[in-house]
Amino acid sequence: MGKIWIIIQREYITRVKRKSFIITTLLAPLGFFALITGSVLISTYSQGRTDVAIVDESGLFKDVPIADADDQTVYFHKVENKYEQLAAELPKEKNEKEKKYSAIIFIPANFNINTPNNPVIACRYVERPGMIKKQFINQRMNEAIDKLRMKTLNINDEVQEQMQKKTQIDFSSLDNQSEKKGYTEAAGIAGMVMGFAIYISLFFYGTMIMKGVQEEKTSRIVEVLTSSVKPFQLLMGKIMGVGAVGLTQFILWIVLMFGVNIVAGIIFGVALNSHQPAMGNMQSTGMDAEDMQLVMKNLSSLPFTQIIIFFPLYFIGGFLLYGSLFAAVGAAMGEDGDQQSLMVPITVPIIISIFIAINVINNPDSALGFWGSIIPLTSPVVMSALLPFRPEWWQIALSLFLLMGGFIFTTYIAAKIYRMGILMYGKKITLKEMARWIFARN
Amino acid sequence: MPLLSLQHIIKQYGTYRASDDVSFEIPKGKIFGLLGPNGAGKTTLIRMITRILYPDAGNILFNGEQLTDKHTENIGYMPEERGLYKKMKVGEHLIYLGRLKGLSQTQAKENVNYWLKRFEIENWLNKNIEELSKGMSQKVQFIATVLHNPELLILDEPFSGLDPINSKLIEEEIRAMSKQGKTIIFSTHRMEQVEEICDEIVLVNKGKKILEGGVKELKQRFKENKFRISFTGEISNGLLNNLNVVEQTSGEVTVKFDEEHKGNSLLKLFVEHGMEVSSFNELLPSINEIFIRQVQSN
Repeated sequence: MGKIWIIIQREYITRVKRKSFIITTLLAPLGFFALITGSVLISTYSQGRTDVAIVDESGLFKDVPIADADDQTVYFHKVENKYEQLAAELPKEKNEKEKKYSAIIFIPANFNINTPNNPVIACRYVERPGMIKKQFINQRMNEAIDKLRMKTLNINDEVQEQMQKKTQIDFSSLDNQSEKKGYTEAAGIAGMVMGFAIYISLFFYGTMIMKGVQEEKTSRIVEVLTSSVKPFQLLMGKIMGVGAVGLTQFILWIVLMFGVNIVAGIIFGVALNSHQPAMGNMQSTGMDAEDMQLVMKNLSSLPFTQIIIFFPLYFIGGFLLYGSLFAAVGAAMGEDGDQQSLMVPITVPIIISIFIAINVINNPDSALGFWGSIIPLTSPVVMSALLPFRPEWWQIALSLFLLMGGFIFTTYIAAKIYRMGILMYGKKITLKEMARWIFARN
Repeated sequence: MPLLSLQHIIKQYGTYRASDDVSFEIPKGKIFGLLGPNGAGKTTLIRMITRILYPDAGNILFNGEQLTDKHTENIGYMPEERGLYKKMKVGEHLIYLGRLKGLSQTQAKENVNYWLKRFEIENWLNKNIEELSKGMSQKVQFIATVLHNPELLILDEPFSGLDPINSKLIEEEIRAMSKQGKTIIFSTHRMEQVEEICDEIVLVNKGKKILEGGVKELKQRFKENKFRISFTGEISNGLLNNLNVVEQTSGEVTVKFDEEHKGNSLLKLFVEHGMEVSSFNELLPSINEIFIRQVQSN
């Protein structure tokens, strides 16, 4: 252990002292900050304004209000002009500034609300509306048709309003204490964040280990090192040292991001609140600002003790499991660092696990989620995503036990490959050869 | 008791035997040459002595004890292909390697200072390794090898890539360490250095030991009874008639003499023929010649 400790110290100190470490540690939260502000700014200013003229030859929609978009992206204008006349007035070039409308909605004279697709309402544009705008325009026209239909059924506005009121079912756990309304969404977000955090760090720090091993191989220092320590000690020292670097960076990021978040909140708080729809597809999933608040409130009722205890364990466990494999690949790789194909057997299960995690968020109690959270190659990512959904204790215990077993197993295999690979020069190593080393004697 | 004793060492890679029943002993305090052409199995033997590899069969004894990992702290190894971490400083790098060899932080620091001073390179302490030239890093590598004051020093092609000044310096250090009673295994292709430096050698080829012994003793064993005689004046008639002349120039003749006869009788023959002999030498084979002859006949 003494020598492993010396190796850990070197791996840790030399990396933490590097400029690249300091830069990435400081820049990542700034990048996060840029992402938030960028997305707010982009959604505010980039969508631009689309003015749509409505030529209603049927006259049906004369008294039906068609509301503009809340985020000031689409405006409707009912016009008296004939379609041909209006179309002739529109500039043909979409870039021409002096245009009144960028699109015309044409409702034919014989339009019938009972057969709304025959004849069809047409929209002819000069400036192409994006998918979201198209969806929005479609939605507004359908709402207008609904209103017309109600009118023909003699349903007055008050009744209409009542009819349109939708319920939000209060989904809670049986005791209505542990999981209140909005809990599932909060758990889903927290689960996704943790799953992704492990997913990304496996790749990031795994590659760091791999590069470190390659450096030792190509600089040929490894022969001196292995004459002083066992390859296994070298392997463990490197994995743990880089792991400690990862944890340090992670903790610093969390602290810095909290800080950045607070600053961003102060500066952009107003903008953020007024632009909820801009945050991805929240609208299409039926989540509005009120729901978001509910989710935020629920974050505090997540099983924090469980998360604080087990998330780091899965972080470390996953890291150890994959770290040794990355080291083995680094040792087997050629000196020029080619043979990326050797990485495939490691990267595939990591990528599969994030897919399972995404699925698990929607179906936390599925069989896929269960097996994904038990099998060591996928459990670090999947179980982290599952933790906010309060998996059973025995499930966590079994998963951790298998993860530990998996770690011992991969390290055993990796140590064999590592031992042979690091001293092998000038020869292309294939997966078949690596498999042979696993079964070979020392 | 020898410092190191290899007994029937076998190491196999697939179907290839890199060490095939190799046995030899390395006496304490000697400079021992491990020789052989490329691919003969020298590095495999060294790697087994340094516990980087383990033999498939056979025993290695260190000071009479079964060689184990604890003995690696008593061995300093400078491989032929050697490198350093580019992003470290000379001082911290040496301390790191010293600590891996079992030195405490303070002891390692002390030893680093001692060696930097000895090589008059104290100002390198905080230099980055990547700033060093090839010759400079070789000095650092040599210090790393001897830093923990090992009993056994294994130097694989220590002079390759060294300029003559550094070569001389390292050679002097090797001799000094030998004088202190350290045992040194010296693996090289450069035979003139073997002759200059080594006390004993072992020659391996294709995984097998083909020759071992003291340098002087081997030269005697493989001598061909060749003598070179320098003289003044003309060679007298009939003198060379019964002799096996290998080479003849004016004033010098090389003769291969019968094995039963000693040099004295040859000299006597020349004197009896009234020749004025100015020098008389027995020509011993160089280690290089022995090496080539043995490898070819093997």
